[in-house]
Order: sequence, then C-alpha cells, then structure tokens
Amino acid sequence: MTSAASRVLAGVGRPVVGAWREARGLAGLFLDTFVAVARGRVRGREVVHQMYLVGNKSVPFVAITLAVLGLISVFQVATQIKQVIPDFTMLGAAFMQMMVREFAPTITGLMVATRVGSGIAAEIGSMVVTEQVDALRMSNADPVEYLLVPRTIAAAVMMLMLTIVGIICATIAGMLIARSGFDVSFKTFLNFQLLDAGDLALGGTKALAYGLAIPVIAGRAGLTARGGSAGVGRATTQAVVATSFAVIVLDFVISGVSYVVFGQ
Amino acid sequence: MIRFIDIHKAFGARTVLDGVSLDVDTGEVLYIVGNSGAGKSVLVKHLIGLLRPDSGRIELGGKEITWLTEHEFYAVRMQCAMVFQNSTLFDAMTLVENVALPYRKHFALKPAAARERALAKLDLVGMRSAADWLPGDIGDGLKKRVAIARALTLDPSYVIFDEPTTGLDPLAAAQVDDLIRSLKHDTGVTSIVVSHDLRSIFGVADRIAMIYQGKILIDGTPAEVRASRDPIIDQFFNGRADGPMKI
Repeated sequence: MTSAASRVLAGVGRPVVGAWREARGLAGLFLDTFVAVARGRVRGREVVHQMYLVGNKSVPFVAITLAVLGLISVFQVATQIKQVIPDFTMLGAAFMQMMVREFAPTITGLMVATRVGSGIAAEIGSMVVTEQVDALRMSNADPVEYLLVPRTIAAAVMMLMLTIVGIICATIAGMLIARSGFDVSFKTFLNFQLLDAGDLALGGTKALAYGLAIPVIAGRAGLTARGGSAGVGRATTQAVVATSFAVIVLDFVISGVSYVVFGQ
Repeated sequence: MIRFIDIHKAFGARTVLDGVSLDVDTGEVLYIVGNSGAGKSVLVKHLIGLLRPDSGRIELGGKEITWLTEHEFYAVRMQCAMVFQNSTLFDAMTLVENVALPYRKHFALKPAAARERALAKLDLVGMRSAADWLPGDIGDGLKKRVAIARALTLDPSYVIFDEPTTGLDPLAAAQVDDLIRSLKHDTGVTSIVVSHDLRSIFGVADRIAMIYQGKILIDGTPAEVRASRDPIIDQFFNGRADGPMKI
C-alpha cells in the first residue's frame, strides 16, 4: 500500500475509531450510573444538595428565558393570525400544546445543559487533574457512585420541575402579551382543549431524558479531562457542545418515536 | 515484595515507560527519582490500579495484580496506600471527615465510629486539635500530614509517597522525612517515595532507583549512587544545568 493511501485510510479511520471509543465509554458510564442507582447506592443528602444546585439555582435563568420565549412566540403567532384570519380563540390552546410538547422541555434542557453541564464538567475535571478522583478511588469510593449518581438523580427530578416552572412562566408572559397586544382575554387564552395525556407524557419523557443525559455526558467530559487547567477548559467546552447536541438529538428521536408509535 | 516487570506505558504518541523492571523489598524505603515527566508517578500508580500498563506485569506478594478489575483493586488499595503530591484533601469535608472516609467506604463504619478511629490517626501526625477545621484553613505542610494520616487509616503494608516534600518549607519537609523514617522503624511499613528532594533522598532512602528516558538507569543504595561515575547520574544528583542529560 502506498504511503498516500495509508495516510488517507488513517485520516478516515482515526476519527471513526475515536468516535467508537467515545460512544463505548459513554454507554459504559450510562450503564454504571444506572446500575449504581438500581442497587440503591445513593447518598440522599448529596442528592438534595445537588437538587438545590441544579434546580433552585436554575429557576431565575429558566423562568426569564421561557417567559421571554413565551412572549415572543405569542406575539409572532398572533401577528401572523391577524394577517390571515383575525380569530384568536385557539391561540392559547395551540401555544399550550407547543410549549408542553416541545419548547418548554427542550429550551429548559438547553439551558440546563449550558449551566449545569458546564458546571459538572468543570468540577469533576478539576477533581481529576488535581488527583481528587484518584484519592476517592483509593478510599474505596467509586467516582461514578460518589459524583455522578447524585447529580443524575437530581438533574432528572429537577428537569421535570424546571420544565413545569418554564411552562407556567411562558404561559403567564404569553397571556399578558395576548391581552395587551391583541385584546385576547385571560379566559380565552387559558384554553387546554388541545392538550391530552399524550402531550404531557411526551413533554415529561423529553424532560426526564435530558435530565438523565446531561449529567452523564458532562461527567464523562470531566472524568476524561487531562492536562491541568487547559484540560479542564477543554472538558467544559466539550460538555456544553455535547450536552446541547444530545438535547437536540434526543428531542428528534423522542418526537420521531412518538409520531411513529403513537401517531402524535 | 513488589515487582514491576518490563512495564511499558505511553500516552498517545509519547512513551513514558519503556520497559521498566524494578523490585521493592519488604520493609525498605525506596526512593524513585528522575527529572520531571520521567514517569515516576506514572510507574507507582500502576501498583494501585490508577493506571494500567500497555504491557508488562506487576506482582504484589507473589501474586500478579496487573489486570485486576477496579473492584478487585480495592483489596490491593487496602494494603497499598498513597499520599498524593498535592495532598488532595476534599475541600468540602473537615480534616477528620477526610481521614474517616476510607473507614466509612472500606469497612462501612458508622460516622461516629469512623470519626473515633480517624481522630486516633490524626493524633499520630499531631493534627487532632485541628480535626474539625477545613483543608482551606491550614497550610500545605499540615495538609500533607493529614494526607499521611488518611493514607495510614487502613494500616497498610505499603505506602506510596508522591513528592511528599515538594513545596514544603525545610522544617515541614524534615517532619515528613521523620514520619517516613518512623513508619519504617515503628510499623515495618514499606515505603516507595517519588521525590526530587536530594536532602530527603540521601537522608531517608535505603535504596534509590532513577528513571531516565523510560528505563531504570540505576538501582542501588545511596552509597552506590553517590559512587557512580555515570555522567547523567552525576549531573542529576549534583543538580548541574549543563551535561549529557536530555530534558
């Protein structure tokens, strides 16, 4: 084989092998985390602490973002409706369905990926490069059980809570702009007739999936950090990119499965 | 006895250990020396499963431990403790909680019982009065003492010290040296010390092994090392900037 051909093969093969290793490592970490949870190896006090950090500390960020998103969405949709058929009776109903099924869980997921994913990668990455993770292993404290399990449980629970907070804030903001900008009464806007159990299940499944994925993906970035503060910086960037991408991919996959299996 | 047999380890394209073979006798204080990045810490981390070799064998007490699982290595880590270079105390835990952690995890002791035992270990290193302080409240020398107390919690047969005197003032460094000596004399613990500190090396070591370019360049008593005419050994131990040593 010529050296040019082997260079081309190596150029193609290296990223494929790298991606395969990364996928295998991530799958292993997911498995380890869920096995630890299933075996009940959960530190309750740390879970509560992480719920505070992941959930309570994210409330202002999520509330403001979703309120602004709700306000803009209602304004844009109402403006379009006004140009076609100026009938706003279903404005609130369609908005609710869109928020519950799609925007509230996914935008909240992206917010949590940015804020919490980066924090987890930076914290665990710093522990790796300063050998604290090695010290945990020396003390018979499994880093997955000690670091990832509490964060994963906390993120899964708090993603559901934050999504509910996001829906409430987006609805209030949308209701206010509908009333002030388009003269739609609160009663007309608060229309739940398009919402059914399937919409709630879909939104809830997405929130739960993002909450489980973000800490594990960010934790993997942190646990594989190498080379001092530069390595921690790389891990943090990698975590934000990978968790945000995971939210988008999971959104696509869950929506697709829901459509194919349940027809909605 | 510990045996490292033909250990090879590379990180990406960079070869760190290129066929290192080294024996550690029971009860001795072995210093592993070499320039920065020579692979000293990398070598000792293989003994406790924090790193795995690309090839080679590691034996502990006549049993091969090279490819034990992470779970199986917990038993090895009860025999072989490690004092890390930066002490690596957990910032959110008090000193006594740091020392109690191995008791709670290895023996599943209740917090009160683990605390009692941890206080006894802190007493050994003169830190009992600061038990409820946080690591951020004390200096590097005292952190090192607490890290040593944590390493001794399980009464190990072997203790690995990774640059125990680096960054310490001379008094604190001398206290750490005394601790290593007393460990050997009082409890018969085998110590493997990774160090650059010449005063400490020639004051405490029973034997010295120098790693250079991924291999053991010399393995002998302090007197044998001093008597060596190898120009690289001469340059390293006399701390000269000019010479044949490639950094």
